Amino acid sequence: MNRTIVRTVAAALAVAWATACAGQGDEEEDLALAYGDKSFVTIASGARQPIARAPAVATVVTAEDIAAIGAADLDEVLETVPGIHVSRSPIGYNPIYTIRGIHTQFNPQVLMLVNGIPITGVFVGNRSQIWGGMPVENIARIEVIRGPGSALYGADAFSGVINIITKTVADLNGTQLGVRAGSFKSRDAWVQHGGKWGGFDVAAYLQVGATDGQRQNIAADAVSPTPFSSFAPGPVNLGRDAIDARLDLARDKWRLRAGYQQRANASTGAGVASALDPKGSNFGERISTDLTWQDTNFAPDLDVTAQASYFYITEQSDLTLYPPGYLGFPDGVIGNPYKWERHLRFNLSAAYSGLQSHKLRFGAGTQGDNLYRIKDSNNYTLPPLGTVVDVTDAAPFIRPHSRRINYVYAQDEWAFTKDWYLTAGVRQDHYSDFGNTINPRLALVWETAYNLTSKLLYGRAFRPPSFAELYNINNPVLLGNPNLKPETNESVELAFAWQPASTLQANLNLFRYRMKDILRPDASFTVQNAGQQRGQGLEIELVWEASRSLRLSGNYAQQRSIDEVTNQDAGNAPRHHVYARADWRFMPGWALNAQVNHVADRSREPSDIRPVIQDYRTVDITLRKQKWKNDWDFAFSVRNLFDVDAREPSPAPGLIPNDLPLAPREWRFELRHQL
Amino acid sequence: MLLGAVLLLVMALARGAEAPIAVVYPEIGEPYRAIFEKIVEGIEDRAGPRVVKYAVKPNADNAELKTDLRRQEARVVIALGRQGMKAVVPDRSMAMVVGGVVTLPESEARGLSVISLSPDPSLLFARLKVLMPAAKRVLVVYDPRSNAWLMRLAKEAARAKGLELVAYEAQDLRGAMQQYQAAFAAADSRTDALWLPQDITTVEEGSVLPMVLQESWNRSLAIFSSSFGHVRRGVLFALYPDNVELGKSLAGLALGILSSGNHGGQGMMPLRDVRIAVNLRTAQHLGLDLSRQQQGFDLVFPEP
Repeated sequence: MNRTIVRTVAAALAVAWATACAGQGDEEEDLALAYGDKSFVTIASGARQPIARAPAVATVVTAEDIAAIGAADLDEVLETVPGIHVSRSPIGYNPIYTIRGIHTQFNPQVLMLVNGIPITGVFVGNRSQIWGGMPVENIARIEVIRGPGSALYGADAFSGVINIITKTVADLNGTQLGVRAGSFKSRDAWVQHGGKWGGFDVAAYLQVGATDGQRQNIAADAVSPTPFSSFAPGPVNLGRDAIDARLDLARDKWRLRAGYQQRANASTGAGVASALDPKGSNFGERISTDLTWQDTNFAPDLDVTAQASYFYITEQSDLTLYPPGYLGFPDGVIGNPYKWERHLRFNLSAAYSGLQSHKLRFGAGTQGDNLYRIKDSNNYTLPPLGTVVDVTDAAPFIRPHSRRINYVYAQDEWAFTKDWYLTAGVRQDHYSDFGNTINPRLALVWETAYNLTSKLLYGRAFRPPSFAELYNINNPVLLGNPNLKPETNESVELAFAWQPASTLQANLNLFRYRMKDILRPDASFTVQNAGQQRGQGLEIELVWEASRSLRLSGNYAQQRSIDEVTNQDAGNAPRHHVYARADWRFMPGWALNAQVNHVADRSREPSDIRPVIQDYRTVDITLRKQKWKNDWDFAFSVRNLFDVDAREPSPAPGLIPNDLPLAPREWRFELRHQL
Repeated sequence: MLLGAVLLLVMALARGAEAPIAVVYPEIGEPYRAIFEKIVEGIEDRAGPRVVKYAVKPNADNAELKTDLRRQEARVVIALGRQGMKAVVPDRSMAMVVGGVVTLPESEARGLSVISLSPDPSLLFARLKVLMPAAKRVLVVYDPRSNAWLMRLAKEAARAKGLELVAYEAQDLRGAMQQYQAAFAAADSRTDALWLPQDITTVEEGSVLPMVLQESWNRSLAIFSSSFGHVRRGVLFALYPDNVELGKSLAGLALGILSSGNHGGQGMMPLRDVRIAVNLRTAQHLGLDLSRQQQGFDLVFPEP
C-alpha cells in the first residue's frame, strides 16, 4: 500500500516538474530586482505593519505558512515550532504543549493569548478542559516565545507563551467563503469578511464544524485489569460540534473585539478517569470581549494603551467515569460537574522613547478571576449510592471562589554602547490568595556582525496554584491545599541568529532551566509544593530558499529534563524532535508541501515502569491550487501518509497501558472562494 | 423618434468619451501574481469601467489578442511586465504605456511611456537626507549598459538635494568588486552613503552583496537600496513599489493620452509611487535615532 502511494506521488511530481520546466520565462528577473527573493514579495505586497505591534518573539508563523502545510487546527501548526511538541491528555485528548521538556497533564505552564489577552481558566489553570481544537482560518499569525516571560506577561508565561493574532480588515479585504471535508466525517464551513462600514474597519468571522473524530483502538484501560467489564478494547471518542465566531471593529484610536467559541457534544477522549466513556458528553463555551484604546502619540515620544477585557468560560460535563457494573454501580460511576467562570481585566501600558539610548515600557493592571458558580451531581458521594443526586450544596467537587490580582511592571532597553543592548524588566504581581511574586528578566543583545546577532537571556516565571489545587474537595484523586505558593521556573538562554547568505537563515538556541516548588499531589492526594526539575537542551532552525520555486526548512530540538526528587528523566517529553518541510511551487499557481515530523526518545515518568514508548515519524503532504478561475482556491492534504502507528504517552502509572493512539492516515479537501 | 435619435447620439458620445483602455498583464504564479493584481486594481480605481483586461501566458499565441484589441477599438494599451509587452505590438492607431519592468533599451522605450520599477533617485535622496541629515555624498557603482538613463536622473536629483553623486562604472563582476574597493577607500562614513541600484552586474547577490554588506557594517557606512529585499539583509532603507498607486499613475498616463490625443511617448520614467522599508538594527548600528520617524515607515526589519 505504502509503495503504491510513493509511486503515485513520485509520478505526479515528475509530471508536475516536466510541466513546470516549460515555465515562466524571465518575467521574474525584473521583479526579483525590485523585491529580492520570492519570500520578500509576499511581505512587501502585504498589509502595512504597525510598529507598535512588533513584539520580541522567537518564532512567528504566518497565515501563509498555516495554509501551506494544510493545517486545519492550531495544534498542527504548533507541532512545527522548534522546541514545542504537542502531546495528548487522555481527558478529551486535550493538547499538552510540551515546551523544552516541561510536560504536565493539565499543561497550565503554557500561557495562551488571543490578541495579547489570556484565555486561561482558573479551575485547572489551562485553556479549558473542553478545548475541542481551535480552527486556523481566522488566524493572521501566531507568535511563540519559548522560556519564561512572566516579567512582561505575568502568570503562566512559564515554559512558553503562544499569542494568536486574529485577522483584521488589513488581512481580509472582502469576503471569503470556505468549506473543508475529510476523514472521520470531519466537515467545516466558514465565512469571513473585512471591509469598511459606517466609518469603522470591520472584520467578522463565523465557522461551524463537526467531526466524529479518529476512532483508533484503545486495547485496555483503567478497568481492564479489574474483574469488572470495560469498554476497552474500544475506540477513542473524539467527536464534537464546534462554532467559532469573531468580530473586530476599529475606528481611530478605538478597537472593540468579541469572540465566541462553543464546543457541543464533545466526547471524552480516552476518559476522564482513563476508562473509556463512549456515552460521556461535554459542553463548553468561551466568550471574550475587549475594548482597547491606543494613542501612539499621546505626548511626544509616548505611546499609551488602555484596555478592558472580559472573558467567560463554562464547562459542563456529563460523564460516566467508570462503566456500568463497576464496583456494583449498575449504571456505572456517574459524575456531572458543571462550572462557570468570569474574568475581568484592566490594563494601562505605556512606551516612552524620549530618552537617548533608552526605550522604556511600563504598565499596571488589575484582574478579577471568579469561579462564580458550580453545579454538581453524581451517584457516588452521597447515599443512596448508585443514584444520581444533586450534591452542589452538600458535597460538591469545589465551591465558588475568586481571586484578585494587581500588578505593575517596568522594562528598559538600554543601548549602552555601540551594538550592545541590555534589556532589564521586572514585574510584581499581588495575588489576594497567596500574596506577592516578583519576576525579573534580563537580555543582553550583541549585534555581532552584519549578519549575526547574539543574545544572552535570563528570565524567571511563575505559575500560580489553580483553584483545583487550592480548593478541590470531595475528589478522591486530587484534594486542594489552600496553603500553596506558585511554582517557579528560572532559565538562562544563549541564542544566535545568523544569515550566512541571502537564501539561508540559521538560528541556534541553547538553554538551561530549573523549576522549583512544583505543584504535585502527595501520597494522600493533597497538592503540595513538592517537586523540582531541571533541564537543558538546544534548538537549531534552518530556512533555505534553494531556488525560486523550492524552499526547504526545518528544525531540530534536543532536551534532557531531570526530576530532581528521583534524579531520573522527568518523562514523556521527546529528547529529540526533528521537523523538516519542503515547499515547492512547481507550476504557476500550484504549491506542493511535504513535511516530516520525527518524535524520538521519550522516557517514562519516574513512577512508570512500562517500557519506553516507541518513536514515530509521520509524513504529510498538501497540494494547493491558488486563483483557480480567478477567485477559487482548493487544497488536498493527506496527513500521516504512510499510516504510521503514532502514540503519545498516557500518564503514569499507565492506566491506559498501550498509550494514546494518534490519527491514522487522513485526507482532507478544502475549497475557498473569494467574493 | 426624436427621443430615440437623442438617445443614440448620447450613447455614441458616451462611447467616444469612454474609449476602452486595454490592460495586458502576465498570467504568472504567486507571489508575483499579486503584484500585477494590485497594479491592475490601481488602474481600475483610476480609469473605471473602461478598462478591458487580458491575462497572457508566456509563449502564448497572441493573434486572438490582437484581433480583440482591434475589435475593441482600444487606442491605448497598458502593458505590464515583459510578458505583457511582448504580447502587444502597437500599431500607429494605438499608444502604449508600460509598467512592471525595470528597464528597457532606449531603442525599445522610444515612442512608449514606461514607468520603471526603479525608484526615482530624487525620492531615494530625499529619504536619505531625512534619515541621515549629515549625508553629503552618495557613492554608487553601476553598469552603464542598463542604468545610464537612471544615473543621468540621479546626477540632477543629487544636485537638487545638495548632495554630490560619485558614480563608478563597472561592466562585470570583477570590475564591480574593484570599484567598490575604490569607493570604500574614498568613503567617509560620517558624510557618505552607498546606493545599491537595481543592477544585476554591480549588485550581484552571491559575492558582491555579502562583501558590500560586511565592509559597510565594519566601516559603519550607510547603504540604501532600490531593492526591497536588501533591507532584510542589512541596508538602512529601501524604496519599493506601491503597486496600487503605480496602477493609478499608469492609468493617468493612459487617460492623458486619450484626452490629448498625443501618442508621443515619454520614454523611461522612474518609479514615484513608492513605500519605504527600514532596518532599525542597522540604523542603531549607524547611530541614527529613528524613534521619532517610525510611524512614517511602511515596513521595519528585523521582523517581529
